Amino acid sequence: MGIRTFAAIDVGSYELTLKIFEFSGKNNMREIDCVSKRLDLGSDTYATGKIGNEKMDELCRTLNDFSGIMKAYKVENYKAYGTSAIRETENTTIVQDRIAQRTGIKVEILSNSEQRFMDYKSVASKGESFRKIIEEKTAILDIGGGSIQLSLFDKDTLVSTQNVRLGVLRIQDYLNRFAVKGSQMEEVIYEMAMARLDTYEKLYLKDRGIQNLIIVDDYLSPWAVKKSGGDSSKAVLDAEDFERMFEVLRSQNQEKIAAAMDIPQERVSLVFISAVLINCIAELMGVKRIWAPGVTLCDGIAYEYAEKIKMFRGEHDFEEDIIACAFNISKRYMVSRKRSEILDNIATTIFDSIRKIHGLGKRERLYLRLAAILHDCGKYISLVDTGETSYQIIMATEIIGLSNQEREIVANVVRFNHSRFIYDVQRTGSLEREAFLVVAKLTAILRLASCLDRSHKQKLKGLRATFKDGQLILTVDTQEDIILEKGFVEDNADFFEEVFSVEPVLKQRKLF
Amino acid sequence: MEEMHSVEEIDFYDPEYYTNRELSWILFNHRVLNEARDKSTLLFERLKFLSITASNLDEFFMIRVASLRDMVHAKYQKPDIAGLTPGRQLELLSVAIHQLVELQYSTYNRSLVPKLKQNGLQIVGRHEDLTKKETVFVDKYFEENVYPVLTPMAVDSSRPFPLIRNKTLNIAALVRKKDIGEELEFATVQVPSVLSRVVELPADGKMRKVIFLEEIIERNMHKLFLNYDIVCAYPFRIMRNADLTIEEDEAADLLKEIEKQLKKRQWGEAIRLEVAAHCDKRLLRILEEELHIEEDNLYVIDGPLDLTVLMKMYGLEGFDHLKAPKYTPQPVPQLPPGCRIFDEIRKGDILLHHPYQTFAPVVEFIRQAAKDPEVLAIKQTLYRVSGNSPIIAALALAAENGKQVSVLVELKARFDEENNIVWARMLEKAGCHVIYGLVGLKTHSKITLVVRREEDGIRRYVHLGTGNYNDATAKLYTDIGLFTCSEAIGEDATAVFNMLSGYSEPLAWNKLSLAPLWLKNRFLYLIDREKKAAQAGRPARIIAKMNSLCDQDVIAALYSAASAGVKIDLIVRGICCLKTGIKGVSENITVRSIVGNFLEHGRIFYFENDQDYEIYCGSADWMPRNLERRVEILFPVDRPELKEKLLHILQSQLADNIKASVLKPDGTYTRASKRGRQAYCSQEAFCQEAMAEAKRMYREEEQMTRTFIPETSHGE
Repeated sequence: MGIRTFAAIDVGSYELTLKIFEFSGKNNMREIDCVSKRLDLGSDTYATGKIGNEKMDELCRTLNDFSGIMKAYKVENYKAYGTSAIRETENTTIVQDRIAQRTGIKVEILSNSEQRFMDYKSVASKGESFRKIIEEKTAILDIGGGSIQLSLFDKDTLVSTQNVRLGVLRIQDYLNRFAVKGSQMEEVIYEMAMARLDTYEKLYLKDRGIQNLIIVDDYLSPWAVKKSGGDSSKAVLDAEDFERMFEVLRSQNQEKIAAAMDIPQERVSLVFISAVLINCIAELMGVKRIWAPGVTLCDGIAYEYAEKIKMFRGEHDFEEDIIACAFNISKRYMVSRKRSEILDNIATTIFDSIRKIHGLGKRERLYLRLAAILHDCGKYISLVDTGETSYQIIMATEIIGLSNQEREIVANVVRFNHSRFIYDVQRTGSLEREAFLVVAKLTAILRLASCLDRSHKQKLKGLRATFKDGQLILTVDTQEDIILEKGFVEDNADFFEEVFSVEPVLKQRKLF
Repeated sequence: MEEMHSVEEIDFYDPEYYTNRELSWILFNHRVLNEARDKSTLLFERLKFLSITASNLDEFFMIRVASLRDMVHAKYQKPDIAGLTPGRQLELLSVAIHQLVELQYSTYNRSLVPKLKQNGLQIVGRHEDLTKKETVFVDKYFEENVYPVLTPMAVDSSRPFPLIRNKTLNIAALVRKKDIGEELEFATVQVPSVLSRVVELPADGKMRKVIFLEEIIERNMHKLFLNYDIVCAYPFRIMRNADLTIEEDEAADLLKEIEKQLKKRQWGEAIRLEVAAHCDKRLLRILEEELHIEEDNLYVIDGPLDLTVLMKMYGLEGFDHLKAPKYTPQPVPQLPPGCRIFDEIRKGDILLHHPYQTFAPVVEFIRQAAKDPEVLAIKQTLYRVSGNSPIIAALALAAENGKQVSVLVELKARFDEENNIVWARMLEKAGCHVIYGLVGLKTHSKITLVVRREEDGIRRYVHLGTGNYNDATAKLYTDIGLFTCSEAIGEDATAVFNMLSGYSEPLAWNKLSLAPLWLKNRFLYLIDREKKAAQAGRPARIIAKMNSLCDQDVIAALYSAASAGVKIDLIVRGICCLKTGIKGVSENITVRSIVGNFLEHGRIFYFENDQDYEIYCGSADWMPRNLERRVEILFPVDRPELKEKLLHILQSQLADNIKASVLKPDGTYTRASKRGRQAYCSQEAFCQEAMAEAKRMYREEEQMTRTFIPETSHGE
């Protein structure tokens, strides 16, 4: 029958988790097992940049056990992801190889933006509860060991996301190093957080009027879900609940706190840090309700896999979120929204018309759109060297949902839209062959699209693209003079032809 | 209002309100002894009960008395819940145990021995009473069978006092060198445990006769010490401190540590000396001195030492009319032999009541899982397992068939360690993943999980029980078992095994409550809920059946609930530290104890829950060790017809007036009153019901079909 078994492994900075899922039919995803083991990889990595041998042994031992459990369930497929604790090691590739050699498990590295995007997906996988809450202005606070991620929603679309280095393990490390006394903890954490969030507030929170805060963390959320009887949709806390919880947390005796909250004692200090962070940010935003659905990265991994094998289709359009984020970034660098939209429109029209020729998919279409939207951001800095400055800006900006490599593709497409194409990829960065080809193809399309709107007057309305006899016929309905556009298309046809062996031809159909 | 006010002021923790657990245990053993003294009990069954009191007492000495002595040595002064220091407890116990032993032997000498003789079995208590013909027989028996296995030991200044093994029967003698000897020397010989202690003599007409092995040896003592004259010889027996205290935090390898401790166990401090009455004063003094025995711990016995020998007597061929007819556990109607157990469980939860119903389906469950190609994994906790267990064999087979088999073997199960290590190794060899217990905790829960891949996905089958996975004791212990494939319990069971494998606790539990982390609070919550109902003027009631009740927090909660008006009926087989009939505290509480042919072992808990009653079963007693230092599981039974069945069990036991004793406010137990009621024995009734149910099942089957049904599976 159509049952598929899948395992998601999260090599986190504080814990290793394995979840086994079963997919049966559309949108039927069932978690059948969850094992997690505490292993503090984070503090090694954050302090020394490497994972110590002891922890490495423990990691491999546990992954071997996981592998046994996966075998027992006859799991067909798995994904294992490492997050910041592995990502931030100096010798990531060696670590990955050692794990693969010793356990047979291939641990892939998630970039921060991918990881957060997955967390975000796991929240969205909560369906109805999620849809309802983002009807109001909402923020997601994703607390990790190394950093936190703050994402804002506007009219049920994600509009911005920022990473702040305020992870609980990192904070704990500071507190230990500074030998902060129990009674001062709360204040010190609060001060640390405020210092980091100062600018963020000015840049992003002005007059936002955020009502709800969604929490993704491994510390306070489990408690909140447990408190609501295991029902994640009910794990909503208001200010009063929070106050009550703080009363317990401030009692300062770890043993008593652990007993009162029914959590393992070793977790108490992390729960405390997490709670202070949440409190601080809730205060900053002035939110009314906090929802801690208790989702984990593993849920997101499974969600993504289910989407991939077409066993699951969520209602929320994540691509729209990425696009909305891109528009927000370009807005910050004063790119005209209208022009971005036109270019996006033209580029995708061309893309869709020669689908058979370029052989690219949905994901690449997304890169093209992002490149179109972000194409002029460098002008904010320099009108001459736009290609280079745009590239730098994009590379330094986190775009949620994109891996580092994907971001590099987008940045390169934007760069070559303005400057000479560099064939020798080795000199341009770390792009691999496949990615290089994507860059070349998308660059050709984006360049052509830019030509069609060269005057920036959006003259070309009702663009139609048809592919016929080795020619790409671009027909526009316009009364205006399109001399400039025609000339540019002819000038740039070479590169397009070089990439696709197709000659672009611009035709005007005057309507009277 | 006045009264409510006074309720708040009562300190439910007042030591006045509690009975010491050791003294309560002595009362329990008295209740077992009462079965031996009961003239309505069949004669050989009376022998058995007397034997049980003896083996109970041995265990009590080795563990409880030993532990109290350890406390005294360590100058530990903290009083127990009844306000008694360890020293004071030992004083009281010595008196109570001496009384108990006296009663054991007066029962033996005055009732049982004469009764046996009336019924054609004569016990020759002293070898001096043998006839000429019989002496010839026993001497020959000695030379052929006994002599070769004896190791006589003499003590003089050049040889140290020999090691006397724990619980063994020995004969001590004073001897004098022939010819030149003046000085008395000490000699001893162990009565070999490899030989039967009961030796049947050639029949004398209709009368059958037996003699104890030690008498035969005593008579032939001179053959062991050829150069000596035997001045006098008497049997004696010692008990040693045997409570294993394993330093779990320090033991790198738990397994090895236990093996080491096992070897040491024999050499513990002597805490009891039993000697035959009229034992020679000089001989006694030597024993007392060499074994460091104080007056309090000396037991002068008028009769054969170590009455556990009576179990051997019970085993004598014949006398069937004096033994209770053997009850055969009945088939479970929902699980007829040869059925596919997984299919049947899918139809709905199934409750098993052992030993009235057979334990075979539980073994069969694991057997079928081992062979079923769709089964992915089997996980089980094993506490005490019978030798040559079919469950172990099935688990090993499953591992060989490529299933993932995880077994938690509790090595700390008292007295069973040696046994457990052997088969745990065997399981490992077969490819099972064996977990040797948890550091600092005993795993007492009884749970089995079978993960099966079915057409519509993974389905989990769970067996939960109140008794161990032991097919031998399942014929004697009354226990409850539940088969279910409910998803909620399946998820919890998976989480239990994940925790036992060292992984983190789950976010939340659906149905199960686990000790040591959550169970106690769960019980306190359930008791408090009844209290609140009573305060609100709603019906409130608790019926709880267990083996022992001695957790102070639980008892205080029960007092508090009872004083608020909750009606509480407790069925506690053994220790009960709660007192009944205290004004304003426990007038609403009754306690009864059932001691019958089967050992009451199930734990069942009923809570009224505002007329929507809840009923739970589990592995835990209301004892601190169960609630705080063990892994235990409490599970609810949800299906209405199964709840009714459990309620029926509780009600039957509350109606029992044959094997039940009731705890009086003065702390004593008396037989439940039969006045105005029909005699009703719950164990007997359960047997009848199980037989009737099984019969109904067969009749229905017969009516349904007249064709032959070939066996399709090769069950036993």
